[in-house]
Amino acid sequence: MTTLLADLITLSAAGLLIATFGVVVRRSFIGWVSAYRYQSVVLAASTAVVGYSTGFWDIYAAAVLTLVVKAEVIPRLLVRVTSGVEGDLKMEANPYVSIRLSVLISALLVALSYGLVGQVLASARLDVLAQAYLPVSVSLFFIGLFAMVSRRTALNQVVGLLIIENGLFLFTTALTHGVSLIIEVGILADALVGVVISAILLTRMSQTFDTMDTGSLEKLKDD
Amino acid sequence: MSGFYVDSVLGALPSGSNALMLTVLLTPAVAAAFVAVTRRKRLAEAATLLSAFLVAMQVAGLVAGVIAGGELSAFGDFLSLDALGALVMIPIAGVGFVAALYSINYMGRQYERGIVDDKHIVRYYAGFNVFVLTMMVVPLANNTGLMWVAIEATTLVSVFLIMLYTTEGAIEAAWKYLIVATVGLSLALFGIVLFSYAYSTASPSAAGSAMNWTGMAADAKMLDPAIVKVAFVFVLVGLGTKAGIAPMHTWLPDAHGEAPSPVSALLSGVLLNCAIYGVLRFNIIASGTLGPSFPSELMIGLGLLSMGIAAASVYFAKDMKRMLAYSSVEHMGIISLAVGFGGFVGLFAALFHIINHAIAKPLMFFASGTVSQRFGTKTMSEIRGIIKVMPITGALLLVGGLAIVGMPPFNIFVSEFLALTSGFAGGQVLAASAMILLLVLVFAGFIRQLVPMVFGSPGAAESARLGGAERKDDMGALAILPMVILAVLVVIFGFYVPQPLQTLIREAVQVVQGAPSS
Repeated sequence: MTTLLADLITLSAAGLLIATFGVVVRRSFIGWVSAYRYQSVVLAASTAVVGYSTGFWDIYAAAVLTLVVKAEVIPRLLVRVTSGVEGDLKMEANPYVSIRLSVLISALLVALSYGLVGQVLASARLDVLAQAYLPVSVSLFFIGLFAMVSRRTALNQVVGLLIIENGLFLFTTALTHGVSLIIEVGILADALVGVVISAILLTRMSQTFDTMDTGSLEKLKDD
Repeated sequence: MSGFYVDSVLGALPSGSNALMLTVLLTPAVAAAFVAVTRRKRLAEAATLLSAFLVAMQVAGLVAGVIAGGELSAFGDFLSLDALGALVMIPIAGVGFVAALYSINYMGRQYERGIVDDKHIVRYYAGFNVFVLTMMVVPLANNTGLMWVAIEATTLVSVFLIMLYTTEGAIEAAWKYLIVATVGLSLALFGIVLFSYAYSTASPSAAGSAMNWTGMAADAKMLDPAIVKVAFVFVLVGLGTKAGIAPMHTWLPDAHGEAPSPVSALLSGVLLNCAIYGVLRFNIIASGTLGPSFPSELMIGLGLLSMGIAAASVYFAKDMKRMLAYSSVEHMGIISLAVGFGGFVGLFAALFHIINHAIAKPLMFFASGTVSQRFGTKTMSEIRGIIKVMPITGALLLVGGLAIVGMPPFNIFVSEFLALTSGFAGGQVLAASAMILLLVLVFAGFIRQLVPMVFGSPGAAESARLGGAERKDDMGALAILPMVILAVLVVIFGFYVPQPLQTLIREAVQVVQGAPSS
C-alpha cells in the first residue's frame, strides 16, 4: 500500500462526507441536486480508487456507470421532470429543523457512524479500504435518513433516498470489492427506475395537492 | 407465440426442467413487450391471460421437476430452485393466473366507468406482467444480490401499478410505499452485504460467488457469529418491512387499500410471501451460524407484535380493503411465529400457511373488489346485505372471511392449528397462548364487520345507489370464476392436502432445517 493510495482513499472519503453536508446546508431543490451530483462524482472517484487498489477491472466499469448514471442522468432527469413544478414549491418554506441544528445533528451522526462501525465490526479484520469507506457509507445512510425525516418537501425525500442509495453502493463496493458487477448494475438500474417513478409521482402530487409538503399526505388512516 | 412456448415446455420436460427456468421468466417479459407495443385493450387482456396460463403450466413443470429430482439450477449457480423456492413459485403462478382472469372483468368495468382510460389499461397489463416477472426472479435467484435487486424491482413495479389511479389516496399510498419500502430494503441490502462479507472472509469456496446463497448456507457454521447477528437483524428489519411485519408495516394498509383489487390480491397473496421467503433464506444461514434460539426469539417477538397490531387495527378499520390488509399483517405474523416455534411441525405450518393465505386472501380481495364496484364504496358501514343483491359473491365472501379468521373446516384453520401445536410442543407456552388470544381478537373484530355486510339489510341510501335492492347482479361470470376456483381450494385444503404438495412442503421444511434433500 503506497502512501499516495492511502492519501487518495482518505481524501475521497472526506470528499464524500463534505458533499453530503452540501445537501444538509442547502434549502433549494436545485442546490440539493447539485450537491448530489458532486457527491456522485466523488463516489465514482472513490469506486475507481477501490478498483485501482484491488485491481479488478469490473470496478472501473462500475465507476464509469456511477459517473454516467448518478452524476449525469439522474440529476438531469430530476431537474427536467420537476421543471413543470412551480419554483416556490421546491423551496423549503418552513423546515422542521434549522440549518444550524441540521449540521450539528449530521456531525453527530457521522461520529455515531464511526463509533458503530468500530463496535459492530470489531471482530472483523477490515482492510484499509473498508476501514476508510465503511464509516462514511454508514454516515451517508444516516444523513440521508435524517434529510428525509427532517424536511417537509417530497423532493427532499427523493434526494434523501438517493444519498442512502449512494451510501449502500459505497458499502457494497468497500466490503465486497465489487465482486459482482451484475448486482451493482442491478442496484443502479433500480435507482434509475426509482427516480423516474418518483418523478412522475412528484409531478402528480404537485398537480393534485398543489403542494409538495408531505404534511398534506395524511388522508389515509383508520380513525 | 404460444406454439413456441408450448413446444419449449414439452421439449424441456423430459431432458430436465432447467430450460423452464429461463422460459418461465421470458414468458411474462414477452407478454409485457407485446402489450406495450400493440397498445390494444383486448390484445392486452388476451396476452396477459395467455402468459399467466403458460407461466402456471411451466411452474407446474418446474415444481414437478423439483419433487422428482431435488434442486434445479441454471447458468452455473446463478439461478436455482429448491423445494422452498418451488413452494413460493406456486402462489406466484397460481394467484397470477386467477388475478389475470379477474382483471379482465374488474379493469373492464373500471374502464367502462371512465376511471381508467386506454393508456391506463395498457400500463396496467404491461405492469402486471412485469410484476409477475420480478416476483418470479426472487425464488429463482441463487445470488442473494440478484434476489435483492428483484425484490426492489417488485416495489417499483407495484408502486407503478398503485399510482395507476390518479386519486389523492392512490398518490399518497404510492408515495409512502415507495419511500418506506425503499428505505427498508436498503437496510436489507446492508445485511445481505454483511452476510456476503462474512462468507467471503470465512470460506475459501466463496471466491467469485460470495453472494451465492447455497454456498453461504453450506458454510454457515464457519461464518463470524458477531457479523451474522448484526446482518440478520438488518435483513429481518429490511425484508420484514416489505413483508408487512409490524412495526414496519405502516405502508401496507395504504398500498393494499388503494391499489386496483387484482393488484391488492397479488400484493397481499404473493408479494408478501416473496419477502417472507427472503427472511426464511437468511434465517436458515443465521440459525446455522448462531444456533436456532436467537433468530427464533426475534421471529416470535415480531410475529406476536404483528398479530397484536393487526388485531387492534382490524377492530377499528372502516375501509374493507384496509381491514383485509391488516389481516395480511396478522397472517404474516402467524407465519413468522410458526417459523420461530420451529421444529418440523412449526415449519410445516409456516410453509403451509403461506400457501393457505395465498389462496384465501386473494379470494377476499376479489370479492371486496366486486362488492365495492357494485356498492360504489369501500366503506364497510355503507355496505349492507351483499347476500341479497349479489348472492354468489356474498356466499364466496363469507367462505373466504370465515377461512381468513381461522374457522374450521377451512384451510387456514389447519395451518394455524399446526402452528399452535408446535408452539405448545416446543415449550413456547406463553407465546402460543398469546397467539390464541390474538386469534380470538382478530376473529371478533373481523366477524363484527363481515356479518352485517353480508347479511344486513340495505338502508335507503344503499338501495338508491344499487338501483333497487332487489336487483340481483353478481357482476358477471368472469368476476365469479376466479373466486370460485379459490373458494374450492379453500374448502379442499381444509380437509385434504394433495400428496405432491405435502411432499413439496416436507422437502422445503428439510431445506429450512438445513438438510437439503438433494
